[in-house]
Amino acid sequence: MTAGLVDRYVFTALRRVPEQQRTDIDRELRASIDDAVDARVEAGESREAAIEQTLLELGDPDKLADSYANRPNFLIGPELYGVWRRVMTMLFTTVLPIVVIVVAAVRLFEDDATFGNVLGAAITATITVAAHLAFWTTGTFAVLERTGLGQTDLKKTWTLADLPKYEKSVLSRMELGANLVWPVLLTAALVLQQFTFTDEPLLDPANWSFWWPALIVLVALKAVWAVWVYRLGKWTRAASVSNAVLGLVTAAVMIYLLASGNFFNPAFTGFIDADADLERWVSLATILGVALSTFWDIFDIGRKVEQSRKGLPAKVPGTGNTYNYN
Amino acid sequence: MVLLMTTDATLASHLQELRRGTVVVASLTVLRTPGYGYSLLETLSEAGFEVEANTLYPLLRRLEAQGLLTSSWNTDEARPRKFYTTTEQGDAVAAALRTEWARLDEAIGDLSVTTTTPGSEK
Repeated sequence: MTAGLVDRYVFTALRRVPEQQRTDIDRELRASIDDAVDARVEAGESREAAIEQTLLELGDPDKLADSYANRPNFLIGPELYGVWRRVMTMLFTTVLPIVVIVVAAVRLFEDDATFGNVLGAAITATITVAAHLAFWTTGTFAVLERTGLGQTDLKKTWTLADLPKYEKSVLSRMELGANLVWPVLLTAALVLQQFTFTDEPLLDPANWSFWWPALIVLVALKAVWAVWVYRLGKWTRAASVSNAVLGLVTAAVMIYLLASGNFFNPAFTGFIDADADLERWVSLATILGVALSTFWDIFDIGRKVEQSRKGLPAKVPGTGNTYNYN
Repeated sequence: MVLLMTTDATLASHLQELRRGTVVVASLTVLRTPGYGYSLLETLSEAGFEVEANTLYPLLRRLEAQGLLTSSWNTDEARPRKFYTTTEQGDAVAAALRTEWARLDEAIGDLSVTTTTPGSEK
């Protein structure tokens, strides 16, 4: 019976060894096992015990096979892990939110858009897109790891230029970018909802005579303000006051339109089917949102200005630590 | 007790780290005279190298693939065995590794003899 043990062991190990090496490893492994068994028998053990002990010492045949095949027993090795992690972080913090927002926005302008529908679409999109991003990225890296393709391109040597600058700029490049992209998106959404998305525009077309262009100018001014502060390079009272004025005027226009019922298009049919007075509730929620975000923005900028004027330490972007602006 | 066990585990992992690579030098040195897997295993363990069969056998094939060893089947005896021999290149690599080993040994010796470190003296 125990003669079968060696066969079973060798077969199991060979299963996972590349075809062209099998015959050679088969012969060599058997010879080595036989040598070890003979040595144990000579030392006085029974043949059965010798075989069992020899195989136990050789250990898990699958691991032995991995070792013979020189196969990596990891998916992505340390060389590529860093690049993989950077790509995943970028995808999950940048691409995923954008895709989800776009999906939710498109769903929002469909005829049967309800809160539940939009939320459902957003959650489904998050899960599906996240799974796809993770799967295909990891799969690609695993292939790279095994084929060695393009590894020299990915393994960029680190230079001092890669160090974050931690400049004393008041707005980071990211914040500046967000401040510039936001007005463009808002204007695009405002113009597009007039012509596409729904049969009847969601927002009141009558306002194109004055209020909508005024809002576009106001959000564009916020972008101008961001560029100005970015180039100024320091927080000043003027920056804080102008931001507050701009914020309050924008909020006032929005709230006036919402509160007076001139914001949404009376001809838009999306609200009519709902049981409750949906238009009123959406208006209220929007007013609250506008008010809160405006107050937060004014407070946040004001706080930064005061900290800077008093020379208090502020957070270094990208770290949890602080430094002095002055 | 827990502390002792962690220390043991730490020591074991450091020892393993330190010994990794010594088997290569030893094998290349021993196989200047041709030998087969089990004979090398015996020689190494008699010489005091702790090496497992499941590490050594695949290692021999890797060294062969790197051109540091050659092999041939000896079928003269009842049991055919694969004999490995160190190549010229393998010998050169082994010599370089031994030199490095000697250098490290000396350096470690010097370190443990020197009792003061710069900055510690008043």
